Amino acid sequence: MTDGLLTGIDQPQVLETTLSLPYTLTTGRAAGTFLAELGNKRILGSRCDKCARVMTPPQDYCSRCGSASETFVHMPERGTVTAVTRTDRAILALVQLDGSDSGFLHRLAPDSHHAAVGARVRAVWADTPSQSMLDLDCFALDDTGGHAGSAIEVGEVAVVAELAYSLTLHYKHAYGPHYGRLFDELATHRRILGSLCPSCRNVLVPPREFCDACFVRTAQYVDVADTGILQAFSVIHMEFVGQTRKPPYVYAEIVLDGSATRLIHTIAGFDVTTAAERLQIGMPVRAVWKDRADCHGTLDDIDYFEIVTGSERGD
Amino acid sequence: MRSVAIVGAGQTRHARRRKDVTQVALAREAVTSALQDAGLTMDDIDSVVVCSGPVLFAAVNQPEKWLVDAIGARLKPVVRVTSGGGTGLAGALAAVNQIRGGFAERVLVVAYDKLSEGALQYSISTLYDPFWGREFAVGIMGFAAAYWRARMDSLGHTEEAAAMVSVKNHRNALLNPYAHVKKEVSVEDVMNSRPLCWPIKLLDVPPISDGACAVVLSSEDAAKASADPAWIRGIAYYSEAENAANRSMIQSEPLTIAAQRVYKQAGITNPRRQCDVVEVQEPYTCFELSYYEGLGLCPPGGAADLISSGATLIDGDIPVNPSGGCMGANPIGATALIRLAEVAQQVRGRAGNHQIPDARVGLMQAGGGWANLRGVAVVASTKG
Repeated sequence: MTDGLLTGIDQPQVLETTLSLPYTLTTGRAAGTFLAELGNKRILGSRCDKCARVMTPPQDYCSRCGSASETFVHMPERGTVTAVTRTDRAILALVQLDGSDSGFLHRLAPDSHHAAVGARVRAVWADTPSQSMLDLDCFALDDTGGHAGSAIEVGEVAVVAELAYSLTLHYKHAYGPHYGRLFDELATHRRILGSLCPSCRNVLVPPREFCDACFVRTAQYVDVADTGILQAFSVIHMEFVGQTRKPPYVYAEIVLDGSATRLIHTIAGFDVTTAAERLQIGMPVRAVWKDRADCHGTLDDIDYFEIVTGSERGD
Repeated sequence: MRSVAIVGAGQTRHARRRKDVTQVALAREAVTSALQDAGLTMDDIDSVVVCSGPVLFAAVNQPEKWLVDAIGARLKPVVRVTSGGGTGLAGALAAVNQIRGGFAERVLVVAYDKLSEGALQYSISTLYDPFWGREFAVGIMGFAAAYWRARMDSLGHTEEAAAMVSVKNHRNALLNPYAHVKKEVSVEDVMNSRPLCWPIKLLDVPPISDGACAVVLSSEDAAKASADPAWIRGIAYYSEAENAANRSMIQSEPLTIAAQRVYKQAGITNPRRQCDVVEVQEPYTCFELSYYEGLGLCPPGGAADLISSGATLIDGDIPVNPSGGCMGANPIGATALIRLAEVAQQVRGRAGNHQIPDARVGLMQAGGGWANLRGVAVVASTKG
């Protein structure tokens, strides 16, 4: 046993994964106009024609009465702090602009440490517009002016219709005892483990605590072969964001000899452009392992499955 | 058990990308249309069910909070339901149960997705186990293609049979004002189209769409104000263990179970004879073939014969997807509710150019996950 085992109990072992997702967001009329006007150093709000409330930032529909009859207005650049908190990155505040009925969440200037509820603030603009909320750089404390009056109606202005956006999400998936043991055995001994259900007597791969069908606790680990039968396959030609390998390749569902569950992998070691004709359901396949130096205790330690020809099986 | 009826339904103009609306404005468009169709206002609604796909689709977590404000449903009860392609049906079932349980008299179900915002196949692929198989996932397309190929061997669901589904649904979509894919295709066009996940080819695959649908469900008492309610005669949604042993995936057990339960509720013993119109949620053409069998419109292995016979054409004896199904538009979170809305409008006589004459009993099917979540509903012009 080495320190590198995934089943170690001193510290929980995790599989780190990252999702990096690109988006093109549709801003809609209110947010799109708001962003465009921030670039012009003007803060846009909206006034509901039915209930006369002024919201900042503006909204397409009144959140109070549901009316779609919102009129855009230019807001004064001064307001009052109605709530404030400090994070490790910024001092965040709800600022109620003069003439507005809502709090506007933004950051305060870095030197606003003594800011409290009731403090008067004014807008500070960024030097270079970036078509984002940060075109309004922050609100700074300023008690020099009185109330700055009310909202002014605006005519048609340009809209930022779309925004590029991305999410990068990092995850740490805990292996737990069964996945830990499975991948330890895979990396150390090139052995694939399943667990035996004492009720239906099926061997389940990957190994698990309970049989999915009988819902009884599994009884023991069982070695399964690295050979099996091709249960289903398709040939991937499509390219898409986030794809882990280059098409064309085979998507394969394999039932390993000695198990009763599906293993998702790929079939290679032959001319993949002939896969549609060459592959047959029920065909025997065998794991081709990567060099030990390249094995890290993942399903990827199996490079691919290859077709077992009739002569090799002695039929 | 209290009877429940659909008293209004509405859809948006669906498109590959709706640049003119946010996610919530899209949903609001469907809500406005459904309330108008029902002759009601938001004041008449007791509770709201929001249905949409995984938040990874459009990068907004808890979109229902944003949505209820934008549709004027402030301070009403709201829940959000998500279940892949079956999302809208699962949401309708939640609404039906709110009414059956006496919690609400009228429930608004609004289902939407704005798929043009994000990376669709990548997002869907996260439904695979991160330890075990995700690196090979191609949305559900790689998987679906693999088991369609297996069904070819065991059930005769040939590429040509699936191509006929594409031809039929594309042609029907020409009659549907909400569909955004409007083109006639031939069996040869489908067969010669580019393979995406062979045997699935480009023309076996519905579009990626931005769109929404809304339905107003009502108790029997509240439905008295409606001239033409569509009664929910049966509704069910079932699952099975995805990674259980000995799954052949040749037929969907949850679909069979859901269909049997719904037929029993609705008093249906021969669906092909007793149903006038069918709408199914077909993520790819091959799914529609398997639904024919799972719904009992033909015996197992009979789907290719059924589509070849012309029986499921719009003028056949058991028309399937007269709206064009997903081929016309496929906003995933909304697509199941669209199928339910379509059969409701059929039995209410409000289906427009793709109306099946004298339709009185409608059958719909939708599912989520890949093969393990399946739902069925029957609606009718009479309470039964």
